[in-house]
This record gives sequence, structure tokens and C-alpha cells, in this order.
Amino acid sequence: MPNVKIDPNDIMIELRGLKKSFGKQNVLLDINLDIRRGETMVIIGQSGGGKSVILKHMIGLLQPDGGTVTVDGTTISTPKFFDTRTIRKKMGMLFQMGALFDSMDTGENIAFALREHHPELSEKEVQAVVTEKLKLINLIPEFRTKMPSELSGGMRKRVALARAIALSPEILLYDEPTTGLDPITSDVINDLIIDMQEKLGVTSVVVTHDMVSAFKVADRIAMLYKGRIIEVGTVEEIKNTTNPFVKQFITGQRKISTEIHPVED
Amino acid sequence: MAFLLRPVYFAGKKAVEGIAGIGEVIMILIYTLRTLPYTFKNFDLTIKQMISVGVTSVPLLFVTSIFTGMVATVQAEFQFRDLVADKFVGTAACKMILIELGPILTALVLAGRVGSALAAEIGSMREKEELDAYTVLGLDPFRYLALPRFLAFIVMVPSLTVISNCLALIGGWIVCVLALDITTYTYYTGMQYLFNFMDLFAGIIKAFVFGVIIFVLGYYHGLNAGAGAKGVGLATMNVVVSSSVMILIADFFLAALLFQ
Repeated sequence: MPNVKIDPNDIMIELRGLKKSFGKQNVLLDINLDIRRGETMVIIGQSGGGKSVILKHMIGLLQPDGGTVTVDGTTISTPKFFDTRTIRKKMGMLFQMGALFDSMDTGENIAFALREHHPELSEKEVQAVVTEKLKLINLIPEFRTKMPSELSGGMRKRVALARAIALSPEILLYDEPTTGLDPITSDVINDLIIDMQEKLGVTSVVVTHDMVSAFKVADRIAMLYKGRIIEVGTVEEIKNTTNPFVKQFITGQRKISTEIHPVED
Repeated sequence: MAFLLRPVYFAGKKAVEGIAGIGEVIMILIYTLRTLPYTFKNFDLTIKQMISVGVTSVPLLFVTSIFTGMVATVQAEFQFRDLVADKFVGTAACKMILIELGPILTALVLAGRVGSALAAEIGSMREKEELDAYTVLGLDPFRYLALPRFLAFIVMVPSLTVISNCLALIGGWIVCVLALDITTYTYYTGMQYLFNFMDLFAGIIKAFVFGVIIFVLGYYHGLNAGAGAKGVGLATMNVVVSSSVMILIADFFLAALLFQ
């Protein structure tokens, strides 16, 4: 678990009554969640349960059907209002498959947004930032000439992370950061998530179903089940939970040992 | 009763989807046009697209245009043999090629070659979340992805049409000299006879509109591509079919408009 002081009253991201449907499929029914400034919140839940959908609402890639999303005190989206320009530069996101720009090399991937948003920077300064970001993710500067197609899955995610922190965001969102990686590479990514929090002081939201990763990086864990957050707690609280559905998920049991249903469908 | 209403429901659903699709195509065009002030800001991206759309299409156009010119000329000579003087073969070939064959043939070839590639590229970028990555980084995908492609299409389709016209006329000349016993002089004077600058100009205007059609439908089908190889495959097929149909429909209306 990371070692960072967090004020429980200082809320960075606030989700209230979030609802979202795709066609007839109701993915989010009523999501209420507070993410504190500087903490790493891990959202766990089954694949296809809507975890990434929550993340995409936080960064304004989706507009809710109901409820509000507030980031750093500014409401960015409701069903009738949608303005994410103010928060875009505060946020970075690591996509599940990295989502690197295939036509650009590693250095260009990291430098592209920087050049566009800071035209006042000289090319030398841009390259200095690229080197700094590559160092932060423990990659040597020579990596900048590699094309995304030449990188392994883990490397792609590290470069994508370097790109996400290029604009020095205050919030980092991670969509399944360890999916598809071997346990050792997964641990490298976990260490980087902790590093980002400790070195850059970012607020992190990690969506995953990898419990090893969740327990390692989280300050708090939220469990998504059938469109609702059914439990939020520290790593210890989640490990010692009495909620049968959370227990079932974190222990990876196929069958549940009780008939108690924690949420109404 | 329900089974009777099912066709009505199905027809209504398809109609709504169709209208929504037209709306989306128009919105893509509007969003792209709104980024026109940034034309010269990232011009290197546009140059890359122009090479991909234009320069790399020349070899294919070379073959199709030369042979189309040859066929058109042979047919003109064959159909009017013994009816009109030889010089009118050049006249007929020139008129056909400049007004219709050049623009239509170029547009259809490009719809198949670069329109489908555009849909596949955008579809695969969407699936790999690259489009979202642009948005998340505060970069407008229309400015960095759509605008360079739009500019490449509206510049390169007319340019390639002019090249195609020239190649087709050369094809016609080759067949005249080698097979039809018509001299270069006769073919050349025939081409000049009844030549109207409007013929060439109308062909270029048409090519410009065809370029817009191929771009917007390619981008639309890319954005709406389904998941996986099947989805991208279907999107490429849809863009070829829809842009070919739209090119032929637009050609009719443009002909009516430009030659009234």
C-alpha cells in the first residue's frame, strides 16, 4: 500500500447517482462514489460490469443518463450539461491496450500533446520532458525511437503511462493496467502506479479485476456489482468484509455460500 | 396482430437509423470544416495523407486509365465507323473522358482503394481506443485525424482525375496509332474540335465532390465499424458500396447542374 497522507474531506472526484444505459442494457444503475485528493482508489468488479464506463464518465468520454460527475469542485457532466474542457488537462488516462498512436514513434507519442498544448516550448525543452518522463517509468531515453509495433505489451503500457503524465496531470485513470501481462510485468506496472502517486502526488483511479494488483496499489477499494457500488473500504476492510459478494469476488469463488442479496435489481 | 406490426416496426427502425446516419455524416462534415482554420498548423500530417491517398494510387490509376482510354476509343471508332470522319474519334474520346469517364473512373477506383483503407484505419483506431486517447489528451480528433484526410481527398481526387484524363487520352492515342489506322494529327485535331474548357472544369468540380463523398463516408463507416476483424471488414465493404452509389447519384445531379 502506498505511503501518502490523505485528507478524507478533500474530495477530488465525486460521482452522484450516476446512471448509464447502452440500448436496453442498464450498465450503471446508481453510482455514488467519492475519490479523495491524492489517494489511489481501485474499482473492482466483474468483466463487462461497467468499471471502464465509470472511468470514461470521470474523464468526460461519456455523458451520463442520470446523476452528476464533479471533478475538483467543478461539475463536468450531467444529462443536460457536458463541458470537459476545463478538466482535460488535469487528467491523464492509461488505456487498457495502451492506445498508442501507431503512426508515431515512442518519443513522438509522448511529445505530441505537449507540443500542441505548449507551443512556447522549444524542441530541446520538449525532448527534455520526454527524457524525464521516460526516466520516471524506468525506460532509457534510447527508447524514444521505437515504434509501438516493436514494443511488448508491458512496454506499450509503460510508454502509454509516460504519455499520460506528459502534461503533468493531477489525476491519473488506469483502465485494467495489468490485464494481459505476466505476473512480473504486472508488478512492474503496480510499482509504477505507486511511484506516480508518491513522486507526482496524483490522485489515481484504477479499474481492475486483478486482486493482487488491487491489494498492492490501493488506498481504498470500491466494489461494483450489478450497476451499484456495494462496498467501499480500505484494503484491510475489504479483505475482512462480511459482504458475501465482495468475499466471493476477492477469493475468486464461482459459487456463493449465502442466499443474501445485497442489492435490489 | 403483433406479427402484422412487425414489418412496420422494422421499416420504421430502418428509416430512423437511416436518418440518424445522414445526420451523423453531415455532422462529421461540419466538425471537419470547423477545423479548417488549422489547415497549415499540422501540414506535415496532411502531406503524409496526400502521399498515401494520391501518390501511391498513381500506379493503379495508370493501368486503369490507359486501358479505359483505349477501350473508349476503340468503341467510338467501332460504333461510328463509316458514319463519321476519323477525326471525330478523337472528339468522342476527349468528350467522354473529360466529362464522365475520367472523374467517375478515378472516383470509383479511389473509393475502392483509399476509401476502404480510410474506414479500416479509423475503425481500427476506434477499436484500439486511439480516438479516445486523442480526446483524453485534449486533442481534437477532427483536427488531427479528419482534417488532414479531408484535405488530402479534396486535393488529390481532382489532381488524380486530371492525371487519369491525360493517361486515358494517351491510351486513346496509342490505340488510334497502333490499331485503328488513325494518325496522331487526326486524333489530335479531333480532340481540339468541339473542345470546351467547361468539360475539363466540370470534371474537376465533380472530382472535388466525389473526394468529399469518399472522405465523409469512409470516416463515417470507420467510426461506426463493429468490433473485430468482421466489423472492420464490413465497414470497408460498406464504404465501397455506399460511396460508389453516392458517386453515381451525385454525378447525375452534377451533370444536370453543370451542363444545363
